Amino acid sequence: MTDATQPAEPLERIQCQWCQGMNQKTALTCHTCGAPLDIRNLVSESGWREAPRLRDMTEFQFSSSTCQVEGEIVPVAEIHLGANDSVFFEHHIMLWKDDNVPLTVLQLPGGLKRAFAGMPFIISVATGPGRIAFSRDATGEVVVLPLHPGMELDVREHAFLLASHQIDYSFVRVKGLTNILFGGQGMFMDRFVTTNSPGLVLLHGYGNVFERKLKVGESIMVEPGAFLYKDSTVTMEVEFQRLGTGFFGGANMSLARMTGPGRIGIQSMYVHHHTE
Amino acid sequence: MFCTNCGSPVQDNANFCTACGSAMQHAPVQPPPRAPEPPPAPGGVETACPWCAAEIDASRLSCPRCGATLQAPPVRSASGWIELPGRKDMAKLQFGDSFCQIEGLYVPVADVNLGGSDSIYFTHHILLWKDPQVNITTMPLAAGWKRMFAGLPLIMTQAHGPGHIAFSRDAPGEMIALPLQPGEEVDVREHLFMLATNNVAYDWFSTNVWYTTQSGNDNETHYPVGMFMDRFSAPQAPGLLLLHAAGNVLVRDLAPGQTILVKPTALIFKDPSVQMQLHFEHPRSGFSMWGNWTNRYYWLRLWGPGRVAIQSVFDRMEGENRNLSSCSSATEQRW
Repeated sequence: MTDATQPAEPLERIQCQWCQGMNQKTALTCHTCGAPLDIRNLVSESGWREAPRLRDMTEFQFSSSTCQVEGEIVPVAEIHLGANDSVFFEHHIMLWKDDNVPLTVLQLPGGLKRAFAGMPFIISVATGPGRIAFSRDATGEVVVLPLHPGMELDVREHAFLLASHQIDYSFVRVKGLTNILFGGQGMFMDRFVTTNSPGLVLLHGYGNVFERKLKVGESIMVEPGAFLYKDSTVTMEVEFQRLGTGFFGGANMSLARMTGPGRIGIQSMYVHHHTE
Repeated sequence: MFCTNCGSPVQDNANFCTACGSAMQHAPVQPPPRAPEPPPAPGGVETACPWCAAEIDASRLSCPRCGATLQAPPVRSASGWIELPGRKDMAKLQFGDSFCQIEGLYVPVADVNLGGSDSIYFTHHILLWKDPQVNITTMPLAAGWKRMFAGLPLIMTQAHGPGHIAFSRDAPGEMIALPLQPGEEVDVREHLFMLATNNVAYDWFSTNVWYTTQSGNDNETHYPVGMFMDRFSAPQAPGLLLLHAAGNVLVRDLAPGQTILVKPTALIFKDPSVQMQLHFEHPRSGFSMWGNWTNRYYWLRLWGPGRVAIQSVFDRMEGENRNLSSCSSATEQRW
């Protein structure tokens, strides 16, 4: 029986400034995205916020599963899947797994048209209970993006580590969006859409990762190799800037004009995975 | 949290470990960060930045000219190499009416806030993002077509203020800020340059460090420090030069006549007074039948006086395992 005369203890919560998740006031890291709650955000004067630097061995939760991020130079995302939870991912980034975790293949329309390093492009699915771990192939940061129903996220190809089963996956091809050094073949963009319940997307950004919120109509020019992710409300148009050197012809430089409203994430190092 | 004695998981607010019973240490609550010190009155104590020798206020935490942290003394190895000074994430440097903030610790980004009358130049493939209103143009270079990068002509691009423009390279490493005083010059191995202020003059010279290898009828010429080297100077006004090196950066001052052997591809920059030459070293081998085999090490000999800098990640050299047919002036050592 509660004593009506006793004032209830005020419900103190800390809001994570990265994912907006609510946490108990004693929490040191956000339980939804792992961001440290006790250190100041690093924001540049131009408005880019550095992605939270996850403390080594940070743990956070999604549905009935846990993710622990291990290491700092090339971090590993280790997933402890609860029963009936599953995650999907590109098969070549698996680092290790329990042998009793079943693997299946996600049926993708048009997946055969896309190839990676001479192999067909396959998205695999791991279903709990059990453990499975992932890492990509160069220095970078794990970016934890919890998605709420109604959110849509566009991600550069071969940048996602994994997504939880509540999320629908598809991809689109963007023409012209390639670094000047690799020809103008274009690239694929992965699209993650939440269904009815919240889900989680983990990305691996090469180098350091920065995020900025663009206001309505605000735009910024981004080098295609730097683009990592964006809200689907942010539009992306490829613009060419001709760098002429008189009669030697010169080269074209393509830049992506990103226009708000919404979030845009960039990475500071470009590792090119060739699209075939 | 975990017990510091036995490693078992314990509740965050527990006073004792449930597994081994040892008392738990709770980290003291951090006091809120102190408000920044008010700027000292003019005429405060001046000190010299240990990295770029700029005269600065002793109360500052980092050098406004090169971004080096001023709280810690330089880290010097027993052999005399000095590590590039630590830099706080988001450190800010100033040049002219402009600022440059260096963001990130793995692959740092140079985020330049150009003042209205300032401009900088850079190699075009390192651009990361820019404000739409920042205008970029190509910079006319005498005989620029001689220089190639990854099969494309090397194009120097200029950006004009006002507005933000940011750059990064594609390797984990460090950003080196080299403020140049009028009359100062520095030689930089090619493709390490990131950007320079417009009052920095840019020129290049032939390194004259090369060797040719022969394989059957194929003759190939190799340039271990590049065919050309970039030379930057500040003819009239002080300028700023930003370089990016892969891995960690080590710097030392060579005394007159002092020499050191470095891997050619590890060299980042040197004072123009430092001379360079090839050096071959043959390890002793028990197999006389290997007499003609190309087991030798390739070095770059650097001669003082002057400052030299090396990086800890460097490329393999081409042609190291082939037959050497001729080379630029070199010294040799057979063990």
